Amino acid sequence: MNNAHSIILEAKGLSKRFGGLIAVDEVSIAVQKLGVTSIIGPNGAGKSTLFNLLSGTFLPDNGAVHIDGVDVTRLSPEGRLFCGMARSFQITNLFFDLTVMDNLRIASQVLEPRSHLYLPLGKSEIALKRANELLEEFGLEESRDQLAGALSHGQQRRLEIAVTLATKPKLLLLDEPTQGMSQVDTHETADLIKRVGLNTTVLLIEHDVDLVMDLSKTVFVMAQGRKLAEGTPAEVRKNPLVQAAYFGEELA
Amino acid sequence: MLNTKARAIRLVELVLLGSAAALFIVGTYLGDTFFLRLATESLIFGGLALSVDLLLGVVGLLSLGQALYFGFGAYLSALILKELASSFALAILIVTIASAILGWVASFIALRSKGVYFALITFGLAQVAAKVVYNTRSLGASDGMMGVPILQIWTPFGLIDTSHPGIFFLICLLTISILYGILKYFLSTPTGSLWLAIQSNENRLAYIGYKSKGPKQVAFILAAVVAAVSGALYPMLRGFVSPELMFFSVSGNAVVTVVLGGVGTLIGPILGSVLLTSFKSVIGTWTSHHHIVIGLIFVAIVISAPKGLIGLIVTRMNKVDAKKEEGKHE
Repeated sequence: MNNAHSIILEAKGLSKRFGGLIAVDEVSIAVQKLGVTSIIGPNGAGKSTLFNLLSGTFLPDNGAVHIDGVDVTRLSPEGRLFCGMARSFQITNLFFDLTVMDNLRIASQVLEPRSHLYLPLGKSEIALKRANELLEEFGLEESRDQLAGALSHGQQRRLEIAVTLATKPKLLLLDEPTQGMSQVDTHETADLIKRVGLNTTVLLIEHDVDLVMDLSKTVFVMAQGRKLAEGTPAEVRKNPLVQAAYFGEELA
Repeated sequence: MLNTKARAIRLVELVLLGSAAALFIVGTYLGDTFFLRLATESLIFGGLALSVDLLLGVVGLLSLGQALYFGFGAYLSALILKELASSFALAILIVTIASAILGWVASFIALRSKGVYFALITFGLAQVAAKVVYNTRSLGASDGMMGVPILQIWTPFGLIDTSHPGIFFLICLLTISILYGILKYFLSTPTGSLWLAIQSNENRLAYIGYKSKGPKQVAFILAAVVAAVSGALYPMLRGFVSPELMFFSVSGNAVVTVVLGGVGTLIGPILGSVLLTSFKSVIGTWTSHHHIVIGLIFVAIVISAPKGLIGLIVTRMNKVDAKKEEGKHE
């Protein structure tokens, strides 16, 4: 556990202030390679802000982010992609006016040499192959030529994860992937995340506590911008602080 | 829907090309000047509209100052032809290089902003340039420059001169077709896909590994070159250039042309330009208030066919397809 080599993502003392509000306050987390690690916490706990700091959407006021021991604190999101980090969004964030296939193809384009940007699409064989793989893996073959904006919400959420996986990241940040999904879709997505976790490190923000407990090997609990607890799902469940802050009477 | 759009574009391409061939043959045979020159003019302004459509319809950037590059090309071409050498190739070559540099420099100013602010900055840049030209005596100030000589163009079939309306029409057709072909090529590459992605959701691009600035800059420079090369043809047709070429009316007209033809279709703007230029000329012979009539036509089209003429054709094709499908089932 203390082996530094098994840690892929490390945040040290991250803070972010919005005016008078301290959204994230001196949060340190270390995410181990492979499997699913989750961040949970009540609304306004600072999970999404923490996510934005980790993915480079915001710059932190204090603290540092390391991917595989490399300091990426000031690196842009596209820079972090080349360090193997990719993220999805809580609010579906796709190229809605493009087809499902085009979404996946464009997301896979980074796998190609830069010179292919100016050659006909057919030359980008790796991207094309990757897009087809994802279509199949995510069961989107039938919607291949549909506009992403015309898909059902569940399909859009699935496509969102597929797009994020296009570049074969070693570290995947998923921001509430099952948000607004039906029960069936949620279960399918959970299975999918589990499968992805077999050869990728997944960091997950989720509201659905049962889902998190089922999927994760490690859970971080946040409340009011701070890290409240961390441990295995069983440990976190037992933690009285967590019970008070998050689970309420339900588990007490 | 998507396939229908591609089919509609192919159809319009063929119809335009066929009409051009017919016009050339009949026009040359009958010794016509008026229609050939009118068609040439609509091609030249079609090139300008094409550049607006690349920015607006593909990348999602509304340029209200594309006349800057059009006028730049026209003035530079006139200067080269008058002062340097009476050479078509030299004029086009220098205009291409110079406008690429101008577009590159301007892109740093214009691409700092998005949306309305981008539109206002492009508008402002063009207004400044127009005022400078308007007040520069060596460029003819408000009178512009007259007396651009008739060109001799070297071809494998011998020297031809641009005073022949049919020949010059063909030269313009070829030039605009090449510009159109270049843009179509770019659209068939991943860069084209990135442009469409920027139009759809620019912020997402960073998370799939691209800065939007690069592809946007490429598009901006290309648009500048397409507008300038189209502009370079203008003094060859008219024999003069004037500061009005840089005015907002020209930029605005190009945007109207694009909307009329069909935003994001590339061929739509060419079709729009052919129709708008013809309308203007025909209506202009009846009344001097042709702008009012054109304005009304524009309003009618925007209300009845918000996706432009290409959109109308697509809808029509879909209906025909649906009927065919029905016929099969019966």
